[in-house]
Amino acid sequence: MATNPDAVHNSIKPGKWVRSTCKMCLHSCTNLIHVTDDGVVNKIEGDPTNPSNQGKLCPKGNSAIMRHYDPKRFKQPLKRTNPEKGPNIDPMWEPISWDEAFEITARELKKSIDEDPRKLLPSIEDFQKMNTWAWPLTFGNFNCFQSAGTMCGGAYHPVNGYIHSAFAAANDAKHCMYWINDGTGDGFSSHLHAAAQSKWVADARMDRGMRCVTIEPRFSISAAKSEEWVPILPATDRQFALGLCHEMVNNGLVDYKFMRKDTNAPYLVGEDGYFIRNNEDKIFVWDSVENCAKLWDDPSIKKLALEGTFDVDGKECKPAFQRFKDILEECSPEAMEKITTVPAETTRRLARELYDAAEIAKDSTIEIDGRVMPLRPAAYNYYRGAQGHKMGFQTNHAFKMVNFMLGNIDTPGGHMGVTLDDQMIDNGHIQPGENGMILPTPHQLGPVPPFSYPPNTFHLMDYFPVGVNPPHLNLKVWEDPSKYGIDFKPDVMVICHSNPLWAMQGPRNKWFEFMRSMRFIVVSDLIPTETTMWADVILPSHDVLESWNNTMIEPPHTEGYCFRQPVVEPLYDTKSEEEIFYELSERLGVLEQYNEVVNMAIGLVNKPELMLETNVKHTDREIARRRGLLWNGKDIDWYMEHGHAVTERRSDKWYRPWEGLRLHFYIEDMLVQRDGLKKKMEDANVPFIDEWQWNDYSPLPTATLDPVHNEPEEYDMYGMFYKDIQLNFGESLSNPWIQDIVYRDPVHIALMLNPATAEKKGLKALDIVKVESPHGVLFGRIGTSEGMHPGALGVSNALSRIKTGQMGAPHAGGHFNDLLPYDLLNTDAVTGQPETVCRLKITKLDDWPQGLKDGKSVYDIVDEIGQPGKGRTH
Amino acid sequence: MARWGMVFDMKRCIGCNACVVGCKQENSLPDGVFFTKTLSEEYGVFPSVNRVYIPTLCNHCEDAPCEKVCPSGATYTRDDGIVMVDSDKCIGCGACAVACPYDQRTQLSADNFKSGLFGDGELTPFEEQGYARYEPGMVTKCDFCSGRVDAGLDPACVVTCPTDARIFGDLDDPDSKPSKLIRERGGRAPLPEKNTKPKVYYID
Amino acid sequence: MAVRDLPIVGDSFNVGFRFQRYWDTPMANAFFSCEAGAGLFFVSMFVGYIPGMILGIVAGVGLKAFFHLTHMGVPFRSWRAAIRPDRSWTSRGVLGIAVLVVFGVAHIVIQQYGLVAAWGLPGFVTDLVIFGAGVGAVSCMCYQGFAMSHSNAISLWSTGLMPVSSFVYALTSGVLLTLALAFNGHLAEQAGLREILVTAGLFSCFALVAVLLSLLHASRHGSPGAQKSFDLLTKSLYAKWFYSLIWVAGIVVPVLVLWLAPGYTLVLVAALGALIGHYAFRVLIFKAGVFEPIMSFRP
Repeated sequence: MATNPDAVHNSIKPGKWVRSTCKMCLHSCTNLIHVTDDGVVNKIEGDPTNPSNQGKLCPKGNSAIMRHYDPKRFKQPLKRTNPEKGPNIDPMWEPISWDEAFEITARELKKSIDEDPRKLLPSIEDFQKMNTWAWPLTFGNFNCFQSAGTMCGGAYHPVNGYIHSAFAAANDAKHCMYWINDGTGDGFSSHLHAAAQSKWVADARMDRGMRCVTIEPRFSISAAKSEEWVPILPATDRQFALGLCHEMVNNGLVDYKFMRKDTNAPYLVGEDGYFIRNNEDKIFVWDSVENCAKLWDDPSIKKLALEGTFDVDGKECKPAFQRFKDILEECSPEAMEKITTVPAETTRRLARELYDAAEIAKDSTIEIDGRVMPLRPAAYNYYRGAQGHKMGFQTNHAFKMVNFMLGNIDTPGGHMGVTLDDQMIDNGHIQPGENGMILPTPHQLGPVPPFSYPPNTFHLMDYFPVGVNPPHLNLKVWEDPSKYGIDFKPDVMVICHSNPLWAMQGPRNKWFEFMRSMRFIVVSDLIPTETTMWADVILPSHDVLESWNNTMIEPPHTEGYCFRQPVVEPLYDTKSEEEIFYELSERLGVLEQYNEVVNMAIGLVNKPELMLETNVKHTDREIARRRGLLWNGKDIDWYMEHGHAVTERRSDKWYRPWEGLRLHFYIEDMLVQRDGLKKKMEDANVPFIDEWQWNDYSPLPTATLDPVHNEPEEYDMYGMFYKDIQLNFGESLSNPWIQDIVYRDPVHIALMLNPATAEKKGLKALDIVKVESPHGVLFGRIGTSEGMHPGALGVSNALSRIKTGQMGAPHAGGHFNDLLPYDLLNTDAVTGQPETVCRLKITKLDDWPQGLKDGKSVYDIVDEIGQPGKGRTH
Repeated sequence: MARWGMVFDMKRCIGCNACVVGCKQENSLPDGVFFTKTLSEEYGVFPSVNRVYIPTLCNHCEDAPCEKVCPSGATYTRDDGIVMVDSDKCIGCGACAVACPYDQRTQLSADNFKSGLFGDGELTPFEEQGYARYEPGMVTKCDFCSGRVDAGLDPACVVTCPTDARIFGDLDDPDSKPSKLIRERGGRAPLPEKNTKPKVYYID
Repeated sequence: MAVRDLPIVGDSFNVGFRFQRYWDTPMANAFFSCEAGAGLFFVSMFVGYIPGMILGIVAGVGLKAFFHLTHMGVPFRSWRAAIRPDRSWTSRGVLGIAVLVVFGVAHIVIQQYGLVAAWGLPGFVTDLVIFGAGVGAVSCMCYQGFAMSHSNAISLWSTGLMPVSSFVYALTSGVLLTLALAFNGHLAEQAGLREILVTAGLFSCFALVAVLLSLLHASRHGSPGAQKSFDLLTKSLYAKWFYSLIWVAGIVVPVLVLWLAPGYTLVLVAALGALIGHYAFRVLIFKAGVFEPIMSFRP
């Protein structure tokens, strides 16, 4: 690219461009980074050679330079000299050498780990680096004090593991023509690779006329761009989806061919919920032409029954499809309307529109790369807002059921499983399971600890055999450890690339006490956050422009590794996270074990010649190099030149990779897991077995209300929170460029209420209010919008930072997560998914409480920006 | 000689403001200063609500009122239609700022440059290499990334827009992307009654 | 909801009106000084009151330049303001000021020291100088209004009445200032001068009324931005200042005083009122100026 020494525009000043990968959220759009001849990073753009983000970057990616040059960045290791700890208490950091920092850290960790490795509470959550995330496994430690995947993916990932044997899911933007977004902003504001997905979805809408419908309590960006917005009461999306299924099942709006051929819907289920099996454990089906039971793989089957009640060897049974139809009897659109407030007529119409758009009646097909497959260009996409509820497993399953009805699972135009990290190009993610079904893989984020009583994890992960970590239970257990039989006391924390004091749910003041009960806390991070305030030692890490990595993180339409390489010398006395963990491992005498864990975590075990030597402290560069070799056999110089190995997803992996196997329409494993866990808990006399909600385990989704709907009536509103593309999947509010755009956006500067609701409550815009749920309190200022469901209060993530006195992000009156529960009642017994909606009541205040009056808050900034009487002076 | 113009496809725009940050990057803009903004308007009554995202920037008008009123000759139009501001000539009188019907001119104060992006009085290396192009007190605006255009590139905001809602090109070329879009989907000028002949068009 | 009901949105990313604040109080000070000063010079020249002429130039040029420099973004380059008289009213104004200074000072000096006679210059030189000074003064009295109305961006200002309002305000301030300053001195010496000025002042005030009402009318029936400005001035944010300072102090008080054939004290009050009204007009017409919303979709 021509450069001009007199140029005033940054991208064309003399310098060089380096290919690398963005890190402003957990995903991995790749970019081009411009460094001037004087070594200043002055422009970052998307890399046009990457078929994923195609040269685009979201506002966060565009703001990365101001993370790099953030003056608050930790410049060297620090030691706390103020023994008092609190969100606003100055730690009185003293700079120390790396040697001293490592010495203190290793010494304190060793003290506890030698006593009992379970005394370590880790919070290490860099999705781009499973090699650090898995570090606690070095000690056989399954504790988890981080929120990664909890609110958005606690139940989402296990269900995707059952249905698609994949980590995430998204609609096929290449062929979809009718795209539903329920509680998600895919393609508009959030979720998978926001910049990339926005481009894919925009092209689908504009080039192919794809229709979008958004189901959400709030008129989000997705709703604004959709052809239709369906307002819905928070925490009722499961009931809505079941209403759709009711309409489909009772009016023949189903892809029966798909049900019969590609799913276990015809498999016969007994009254106890288990499949009907013969002595060899083979499962029976019913041939409706010959009117008899046969084994599922009997070649003489004429037509598989999906409905009816049958008798097999004296056992009454029904096809799984019939079992679902029975559940749906109480899920008519009219019955569901009472819960969701979505008009029955809308549900009926959408069901029909989806069916028509999916081209089921025509049995449309499409040929891709020589394979002729069904074309089902209508799909139901959903994510955090829809799935983050107590009955998480059933909730996610219900959304999948809509897609099952449309016959679109992993099918062109439909709802696709998205793998997290294929590790090697030829890695398939489908394994055959029993009885012709795919092998379900709910453990998408790594191995889970086996059952144990007394528990071996502080957050009771031993009791969620198919779950994702429920870190909020750390707080519940900490309140009364003996109640849960805990026989160890965690007292050291290792926190890296994680901000649990911001992300966890439950009241802050209790989390603060939790932190105070720790003997030693080491934090590795870039900038001061809510969490770094509590550290005893800070180990500052390189940022994304100073380090190496190679990663693939659930890209929806592409696959392949995205490479990160240093662009400049480290600005400060920092180290890579790899160097930090290797040094600590060596000092703790577990270097070999750690290398073994890394080999497993990043898949090097698949190619023994690439496995890391266990007696070496490897660098981030070396790990990046080997990951690249693992992916496509290319060495690091190839990656340094190309920046990525991203291609569009191979159609044989993306489309119906399970062809010939059957999908789990009916998840019998729920009963296997339930009964297995129950027996173990009974045999071990687990004292809290009565708290376990066995009904959460269900092979099919039901319409049981989440407990949030049964909170006391005085809490008459539903609270929901949201982010948009400037904020999602990362910390960005400390960035001045992000602050410059977020606090000018009307949806991120007030607690949002429907105007009619506000009027009924005697509230108006700019009123200061106290918001209370049964679990906590939040203060804020009201804004009104017709784009809010009358029953909901919307709280933007921009208004949930905590005042610390050291952070760049301004506070706003509390934290939405304080309003959320953290108990077992509101946790999915299957997956650990917590409830992310609350019931609340709103009280008008005359003024802010004293503690919130000093220091600049978001509302102060908003007033400065929007004050009438002050215009555009600079 | 090209006649550069831009089209905003409001059906594509998702109001993410990536363009705004990309522009701030490219042009080393101080805090609170924008050469482009994406506005939003929400209207309707629940549940029939609408929201439109409306990108804005300097329209590089053919009949630029800012150029007309500039007493020092700092504001001028290049042969290719880009309206520029010469930072060596601007006296910061603000005549252009009150002459622009679109409020796209912005005055840079000395405070902008002193307090820095992080408001702590220290400039980052990025700011130090970037602020040199500005004279504190001057009134300036988007210049369609003229340097990039001269190098055959699109403006920074266009390049980064995730949904391709910003389309840049030669309005005199009937086959250019903006020309085609204006023709096919009825591009309209903003505030046409102000008779400025803007070269930025909006498509619904 | 009509466009005019859109809110004023400050610096947020909402669609709505935005105040213009580029020409704010420092600029209002400069405009006021220039107009009042030039008006004072003009009227003083008309009645031959030398101290008034001197003060007029000091205020109209000196004070104006000072305040203008406080407004300028890059003050040390302000000489560049004169470069484009072919198209910019700012440049033309600089020329006008130059003319006023040159011919105005010349006129003062000539009058004070009787130089035409002393140097034996032809008589038409006096008239030439007076003409030049007059041109300079008049251009200073109205060029600022031209500058404001040159672009149609701020609808409130986009009217031919702008330069007229400048001129009439300048004239009113000039008349009343001259009356007040020279009441017991120069004006007392020549019969009928006071009366002429009183009458001129009254007519000037009536002209002000006409101009203001026309401005309001044009604004009320203009673009949404103009209507918004109208609301700001007459009903909402600036209404109390608008009525009390511009109408009561700036017009009612001078008119009443002039009508009642005043003594010195009342004339002072009238002059003060007129100046207050003039200054308030300058400030409020800047403050009430808004940019139109770039587009709106609400029905």
